[in-house]
Amino acid sequence: MIHDSIIRPQLVTGDKTLHDVTTEICRPIENKPTTSWKVGFTLAAIFLGILALTLTITMLFGIGTWGLNKTVQWGWDITNFVFWVGIGHAGTLISAILLLFRQKWRMSINRSAEAMTIFAVMCAAIFPLFHMGRLWVGMYWALPLPNAFGSLWLNFHSPLLWDVFAISTYFSVSLVFWYLGLIPDIATVRDRATTAGRKFWYNFFSMGWTGSVRTWNRYEVVSLVLAGISTPLVLSVHTIVSMDFATSVVPGWHTTIFPPYFVAGAIFSGFGMVLTLLVIARKVMNYQDFITIGHLEAMCKVVMLTGTMVGLAYITEFFVAAYSGVEYEQYAFINRATGPYWWAYWSMMTCNLIAPQVFWFKWARTTPWFIFMLSIVVNVGMWFERFVIIVTSLHREYLPSGWVMYSPTIVEIGIFLGTFGLFFTCFFLFSKFLPVINMSEVKSILKNRE
Amino acid sequence: MLDKNLLLDRNKTVMFGIFENPDKFLETVAKVNAKGAKIIDCYSPFPIHGIEKAMGLKRSLLPVGAFICGCIGFSLAISMEYYMMVYDWPMIIGNKPQIGVSWVPVIFELSVLCTAFGIAILFFIRNRMIHGKLPAQRVDLRQTDDRMVIAIATDNDIVNKGELSGMLYNGGAVEVKERTNHGYEDFEDVVIGQANKVEA
Repeated sequence: MIHDSIIRPQLVTGDKTLHDVTTEICRPIENKPTTSWKVGFTLAAIFLGILALTLTITMLFGIGTWGLNKTVQWGWDITNFVFWVGIGHAGTLISAILLLFRQKWRMSINRSAEAMTIFAVMCAAIFPLFHMGRLWVGMYWALPLPNAFGSLWLNFHSPLLWDVFAISTYFSVSLVFWYLGLIPDIATVRDRATTAGRKFWYNFFSMGWTGSVRTWNRYEVVSLVLAGISTPLVLSVHTIVSMDFATSVVPGWHTTIFPPYFVAGAIFSGFGMVLTLLVIARKVMNYQDFITIGHLEAMCKVVMLTGTMVGLAYITEFFVAAYSGVEYEQYAFINRATGPYWWAYWSMMTCNLIAPQVFWFKWARTTPWFIFMLSIVVNVGMWFERFVIIVTSLHREYLPSGWVMYSPTIVEIGIFLGTFGLFFTCFFLFSKFLPVINMSEVKSILKNRE
Repeated sequence: MLDKNLLLDRNKTVMFGIFENPDKFLETVAKVNAKGAKIIDCYSPFPIHGIEKAMGLKRSLLPVGAFICGCIGFSLAISMEYYMMVYDWPMIIGNKPQIGVSWVPVIFELSVLCTAFGIAILFFIRNRMIHGKLPAQRVDLRQTDDRMVIAIATDNDIVNKGELSGMLYNGGAVEVKERTNHGYEDFEDVVIGQANKVEA
């Protein structure tokens, strides 16, 4: 039974029937790829090639091919790692937290946001893994494997180890959540399949789903439990990432505000990337009736809120440094804003704190091309945030004799651009072979069901 | 559970009512259940809230399983940390206590991991879902698209068949048919009537 308020705007427009939903969402899977898909996929694949090349160079010649030095031991690698992990936060946030809050607008966007989460975490994992140098040896420090190197087993006091557990758990649980949500839709594609290959593969992955009410009943319970445990999981992951910094004694990192500040930043950047992708996807795939202006507006509000929270954290950091009376801490922050990396700091402030304030205006929240531009600004700003935190805090340490500048090499730039290739290649494949919108959930919120 | 009643038992008869309107479907399911008819199962392309009550289904015990899996993960993490950090090769790092709050993140993550995988695996086992399984009990190919199906056992005298099919039609079914099973995937469907051709 539908109990929605009659005065609220419809979440799915166009007076769609249940069959319309199936037909329209299955269209990209059942039809041949469009020219725009082919062009986009080819471009993404080229960048993926760049990733393979630059990682091969790193493996062959070592970390010396990167611009890191003895003072700035974390540079673009960890900046990019935190950038991608942050992006990976929106998917599970939308699926889990918005499910617990019964926000039905999540239903049109949760599938693609979850996919984005999985691909972003894959991109993120590349950086710390390859930063370990010989990663096949590094595994012994990261995983509980019996070994004969140095101190045996693992150091459970280390936040870097917590990170290994947090991110691998986050990836696995997000994958389970995503796949469970996909099963009913895969079954729908299976039942419409006309070719032998499609029949076989969609049958394989649908696991015999028939839409039995008994199964749905359990499915709903499982979704709720997964949402319940994913909510603290999402919060824990970026909290732990922030502890990589906060538990150190480096001025600029050693702050207790980091966990909530990083979580807000992750949601901010995650929604930024969701907007970037969906503004294009809804246009190219003709999904304007499913991902409406109302959806974009809701996401813009989240971006504005979290952007302001992040901005507040930037200002609080400054205040705490001033109030602490610790001159190293004070210098770290003065140096951020006025030192040699001032441009990165002010890019961060402009993109993350000032730019999202335009979403106070309804026009800005409801104009897709403008939202797209702003979402790019948010992505850029959040990348700069991580760069500022990592590089500006490290490049001037306690002893001025260790002060250096850092700039990335072509290999580091190649790896970063290459991860976009990996991300978009996965996203293009996803949009071709799986339903981008959760059909079964969208069907449950249709007002016109006749 | 399902397959047995629907497909494996010989000479069992099942009546199917196929609907296109979920609200009418829900009302009819509640009426059929209230009448005392034995509903084998219902099928729908999306979760219809309230249908479990209309069918008289009990609350799933999967959360209990999830909790047990979480406890296993919790114990596993503590045991692993104790074994590695304290028992097998005691490590004192930075003069910190070997057992302390720094154990919490890994304990939390492993508890969540085991809960999530545990409940997913239990879900698949409980529904007998496995990769590549053929969905033999599909009544209508559109039951994953835009149609809802109710399956009622009719090899009993609880409700009169004519009355039952009439109830389904009046409730808004677009098609009612009866299936007689002769063996596995060997059955005979007799269409009792389609929309606007009520014969019951």
